[in-house]
Amino acid sequence: MMSRVVRFGLTLMVVGLVAAVCLGLTYSVTRDRIAEQEELREAKACMEAMPGVKEAGELEEDRELEKKAREHIPDVEKIFTCDSGVIIILKVKGYGGPIRMAVGIGEDGAVKGISIISQNETPGLGANVEKEEFLGQFIGKTPADQLKVGESVQGITGATITSKAATKEVREALQAFEEIKGLE
Amino acid sequence: MDDGTTLWDEFKKGVITENALLKLMVGLCSALAVSNRLENGIFMGIAATFVLVCSNILIALIRERIPYQIRIPIFIIIIASFVTVVDLVMKAYVPVVYERLGVWIPLIVVNCMILARAEGYASKNSVAYAAVDGLGIGVGYTLVLLVMGFVRELLGTGKIILFEKTIVSLGPFNPPLIFVMFPGAFLTFGIMMALLNRYESRKKQ
Repeated sequence: MMSRVVRFGLTLMVVGLVAAVCLGLTYSVTRDRIAEQEELREAKACMEAMPGVKEAGELEEDRELEKKAREHIPDVEKIFTCDSGVIIILKVKGYGGPIRMAVGIGEDGAVKGISIISQNETPGLGANVEKEEFLGQFIGKTPADQLKVGESVQGITGATITSKAATKEVREALQAFEEIKGLE
Repeated sequence: MDDGTTLWDEFKKGVITENALLKLMVGLCSALAVSNRLENGIFMGIAATFVLVCSNILIALIRERIPYQIRIPIFIIIIASFVTVVDLVMKAYVPVVYERLGVWIPLIVVNCMILARAEGYASKNSVAYAAVDGLGIGVGYTLVLLVMGFVRELLGTGKIILFEKTIVSLGPFNPPLIFVMFPGAFLTFGIMMALLNRYESRKKQ
């Protein structure tokens, strides 16, 4: 009886070990590439959010500012600085999952540009959050504008949750900027 | 198998007569969820087919060494490992689609379509048959996803976007959004099932 238990245990252990080794190998092969892809996408979004930045080299991630901003706004993920202002990357829960966006804010505290890094909203409804018609209305907004769907912001038809989430992100980016202003 | 079925029969069985989605009605959850875009169907189909074929082959290879009492945990470890490989590879090479498919890629592990093939077929048949069985079921699953994705995306958004290019467009009109939402999945799937059943009952007469 005992020997059977031991035999089964050992068999499972061997199977588990082999699986673990294979997965470790796959992970080490794909790890760099995954990190690279992630950086590439972030850099692309940052450049879209901050007109004028032409190369990823002009951007610099500032971990101090990130820490500082997260104390007030937990949705802040990353902050990049460049000559013309800062780019804040945030993540807020939308309708179909998290919406990640990069918000470019100029020295004057106004939104310069917005770029959605990833979203999983309903195609045809919430997915329209990426469209210029919606994102364009945030350009030039400052914290004084009190961004709110239905008032200062025109929401997307049939996608209230998405519109609110995206608006909240821009509002939080502006708030985060207020918090870190002058610290760069 | 020695009962005279050819590899081709096994393949056809997976695609049509025992189509996982339309006939056996397993693996429905992921299919209904991701089939709102054609592109999703392509990648989900490839991912599931890869896992099916690989796990079927491996299980058929070691089937005589697996102790009967602990076969299920071993199958799960094998399937989960292949799914994780797919997961990492997709994350590295098609990050946009990976993000969109989200949780449905890791959930292939618990797709009963795959465990059912491991337990019901691969653990009892030779490697070649198990591979073809996995391929057939996988292709059948993929085909249904492609048709559903095409119909739902075209009707629901008015156009088909593949690899960031619009390949078909119905022109400017207000598309019935219901097709890209959950009810649209059930509608499309139900009609496909009805059509297949009708076709088969016609053929019998």
